[in-house]
Amino acid sequence: MTRTKTIALSALGLAGFLIIWELVPGLGLVPATILPPPSALPGAFWGEVKNGVWLSSLTRSLSHYLAGLIIGCVLGVSLGIVTGLWVPLEATLAWVVRILRPIPGLAWVPFAILWFGIAPSAAIFIISTGVFWISYFAALGAVRSVDRDLIELADAFGFRRADQKLFKVILPAATPGILVGVRTALGQAWMAVVAAEIFGVPGLGQRMMQASNLLASDIVVVYMATMAAAYGAIDSIFVAVQSRLLRWKQ
Amino acid sequence: MIDLKNIGLTFARNGEQSEVLRGLDLFIPAGRFVAVLGPSGVGKSTLLRVIAGLLKPNTGSVALSTSPENAHLPVAMVFQDARLLPWRKVWANVAFGLEHSKLTTAERRAKAETALALVGLTGFSERFPHELSGGQRQRVALARALAVEPDILLMDEPFAALDAITREGLQDELARIHAATGKTIVFVTHSIDEAVHLADEVVVLAGKPARLAAAHVIDTPRPRRRNGDETAELVAQMRAQLGQTG
Repeated sequence: MTRTKTIALSALGLAGFLIIWELVPGLGLVPATILPPPSALPGAFWGEVKNGVWLSSLTRSLSHYLAGLIIGCVLGVSLGIVTGLWVPLEATLAWVVRILRPIPGLAWVPFAILWFGIAPSAAIFIISTGVFWISYFAALGAVRSVDRDLIELADAFGFRRADQKLFKVILPAATPGILVGVRTALGQAWMAVVAAEIFGVPGLGQRMMQASNLLASDIVVVYMATMAAAYGAIDSIFVAVQSRLLRWKQ
Repeated sequence: MIDLKNIGLTFARNGEQSEVLRGLDLFIPAGRFVAVLGPSGVGKSTLLRVIAGLLKPNTGSVALSTSPENAHLPVAMVFQDARLLPWRKVWANVAFGLEHSKLTTAERRAKAETALALVGLTGFSERFPHELSGGQRQRVALARALAVEPDILLMDEPFAALDAITREGLQDELARIHAATGKTIVFVTHSIDEAVHLADEVVVLAGKPARLAAAHVIDTPRPRRRNGDETAELVAQMRAQLGQTG
């Protein structure tokens, strides 16, 4: 299939989706409060932008998102690297990891509230918990699978200290694997943002719940679309940075 | 100069002891090109790693004498696979071993360019390894070893993975570099023809644990022709020797 044809078909599919969506409430099959038609969304969106709620919700959510992502990634990647390099540590942590890892991020909500209250730090804690495990396992696996031959190469050229091997060979070789984990974490963190805010921390999730309680379903859809767009933008930026960093790959 | 005395090495793997080398003596004077020949798995690469200091022998001593004015690394190694760092451009791969020195990036780069010219890869500095052919990658690996200006060059079946034409090209290149620089070279191979074509001396490693089964001085004048009559008898003799002992 040619590129033009692919794009045309994708556009057609989207148009069809919007038309059916418009017709279902338009023909009176369901009330517009249950399923707001897409034509109602620009007005709802404009209303949220005009009263300033949209922008402040978005920036708050983004700040929780970024803080949680950075804290989770930094801790997860560092611990993953150290564990990957040092076998005794992996054995030491093995059972602790086995107990903590299966706990879903949302199960931490009660403790997040207990420890941090209904505050941004509670949302950041929940987001970073999910991100931590993903980046921890990605970094651990990436360090483990670094080609032993490249480490011998470092030895052969006189880089015999552990820190020299780490910076000359292990870290660059593990970077692709770590970035794959970070990209997964990027998506996981967005899910966590909504979940963390639904219990009351100001942001997109909280605004969505308010609108839902008022049966303003068109505003709910506006925020759903906002989340999708924000995630899409962040993922695109990340992919661009990633391919820049990994331009040495075939 | 390389002086190995009474080298013994035993690997412990999964609780099993495997003795690879025993009582091995080898003396290589400075500037000599020595090929180490032997069946695969006999311990040729192990011997090379002992010389390089990558493996510590259980018995015996390794003495290397290198010129004191040597600025970078006294010993450099070329592996069978090129082992380039895929995230580094060609020039940065070649400059890898220079990063111990206090040279500026520009000076390292200049030295890398010189080494690349020596292996016939001028103009390839900005490429990434995946953009090169197998033969070109092996040339980069050779340039990386030459860039540190070593007295001793250790080569572990460096051309074994290449096609015949590329291999012969690189053999000629290496012969030229040896003639021009006078480095001590230890060249591990399982090809009798390659050993006889390149080396001043061929030592044959055989047995388990491995010992030196034979040493042959090759004194045919250079530049050498391939499969020349003067070496035919020697090649046949070694073939018989390897057949018996390997």
